[in-house]
Amino acid sequence: MRALGIDLGSRQVKLAVMKDGKLEDMRSYSTMSFYRNYCSYREGIRLDTKALGLSDFDMAVSTGYGKNNTNMADFVQINEIKAHVYGALAQTGLEDFMLLDVGGQDVKVTRVEKGMITDIELNEKCAASCGRYLENMANVLEISLDEMANCSSNPIELSSTCAVFAESELIGKIAEGIELERLCAGVNHSMYKRLQPMLANFKGRVLVVSGGVANNAALTGYLANDYDTVIKLDNPQFNGAIGCCHYAARLASKKVLERHVE
Amino acid sequence: MKEKIGITTTVPVEAIIAAGFAPVDLNNIFVTSNDCQGYIEAAERDGFPKSMCAWIKGLYGACMINGIKKIVGVVQGDCSNTASLTEVLRLRGIDVIPFSYPHERSAENVKNELDRFMKLWGVDLKSVEAVRASLQGIRGKAILLDELTWRESKASGFENHLYQVSMSDFNSDPEVFEGELDSKLCEIEDREADEPRLRLGYIGVPPMMADLYEFAEQQGARMVYNEVQREFAFPRAGYAKNIYEQYADYTYPYDIDFRLKEIKKQIEERKLDGLVHYTQAFCHRALDDIIIKSRIDIPIINIEGDKSDRLDARTRLRLEAFLDMLCDRKEAL
Repeated sequence: MRALGIDLGSRQVKLAVMKDGKLEDMRSYSTMSFYRNYCSYREGIRLDTKALGLSDFDMAVSTGYGKNNTNMADFVQINEIKAHVYGALAQTGLEDFMLLDVGGQDVKVTRVEKGMITDIELNEKCAASCGRYLENMANVLEISLDEMANCSSNPIELSSTCAVFAESELIGKIAEGIELERLCAGVNHSMYKRLQPMLANFKGRVLVVSGGVANNAALTGYLANDYDTVIKLDNPQFNGAIGCCHYAARLASKKVLERHVE
Repeated sequence: MKEKIGITTTVPVEAIIAAGFAPVDLNNIFVTSNDCQGYIEAAERDGFPKSMCAWIKGLYGACMINGIKKIVGVVQGDCSNTASLTEVLRLRGIDVIPFSYPHERSAENVKNELDRFMKLWGVDLKSVEAVRASLQGIRGKAILLDELTWRESKASGFENHLYQVSMSDFNSDPEVFEGELDSKLCEIEDREADEPRLRLGYIGVPPMMADLYEFAEQQGARMVYNEVQREFAFPRAGYAKNIYEQYADYTYPYDIDFRLKEIKKQIEERKLDGLVHYTQAFCHRALDDIIIKSRIDIPIINIEGDKSDRLDARTRLRLEAFLDMLCDRKEAL
């Protein structure tokens, strides 16, 4: 059983290939180049798997934000919250946890109990608590995301709610001559504070973190104060695509397929 | 026309009817009103805080707006806020008769409380038993409606909810209500069976937002068990030797173990795929969710209602995701 999972994100499109439960391949493309180079439009989005060098699938499942974006012909489309939960269930082996997924432009918090989604919170209107914010701030500081991600001590205070105002605030702090590590820690800590209100109703023992922002060690360190255990998934940005693969495996073997075919 | 006696939840209506009065469930007046927000506002204008259960405000509004002069308030076993509500109602000149479901569900305790209650209404056991016997026919019909829901897949979850919830006061007139139930049963029996994709149980107090049932059906899920509504209908009354046994065998107001035993039995019998546990904002019953989730094996989603009589977007999204995964589980795993 060979499955292809695609997560069409706002910034990156993530692909995962899984054979008999084992991940064979993971890749990501910028969303723009993915649509431009590998997709055509004919009664929905058609993916040119040959151009991607991918073939021989028993099942292909896609997910992503917005129904139109995931309307790929020949793919079974699933809700992205479900894709991420299936990914986290398969990768952690846990059945009860909170899942925090922070992507380029959106944040999803999900409560999973007995292997089922029982609560959800999504960011609305504003993407100031997402990966794009960290990217912009790293650009302002002229430092890589990876370097910035390791700074957590003695953070400076960045109080703006708006990501654009926060940039101005950061520039003000640079002008005050504050050292780079503290500025970086301030950015990471401000990200944590923006996520806190969303997590307020998702207290629990175990927090699983996915999405590209899970790679930010400072952020997961701050979150560790609020949970007994914080688990960062391996290749966290691929969790949605991996979840699609696991879902595909279930589909291929069971009759859920009938429901999608109906 | 018989004088109406407001009730704050299910009480031994047999005593009220035997005394020549017509019980009216204040919850039903409130929630079926076209202006239930107006009832809540009436209570808030009179000082009820924002952080108070909407049902309590609704009960208050229902009394005030409908000119109810006398009520039975359940001050133990149902809701501790009701105890204070009855004090406020007394302040407003309403005659309050308290009733308690004893915390310790012993035959003796239940008998003592019922004897006290019957005495307050000036009725004896014989006349109450006569009323109990006369209601047995309607109770049998409610069981039939329930079976048409879970066994024959003909009645909707909403119909199951509506007719069973109405059994707390028989819409103030058992005879008229029985006629309505008869014609509804005829209509339902003529339908083709329509087996839902998912069989859900609804536990907890009846919801503020009745569109929950329709929404679930749109997702292919039907509530084939309405826990508390079914208890209002006293489905086991036929096995009770007397009124004391009947009211000792009512699950909801007593301890959670007793309640869970019946829920578990129904999960098995009705082959339920999952449960919706409804709790009301600011209600102590929210804590029951901890126990229920740890003691019941099938998936459970807790949804909370507050003032609105319609499902909000977030609850819809949560239910949708839950039911979607529940479908996967049922069909694939």
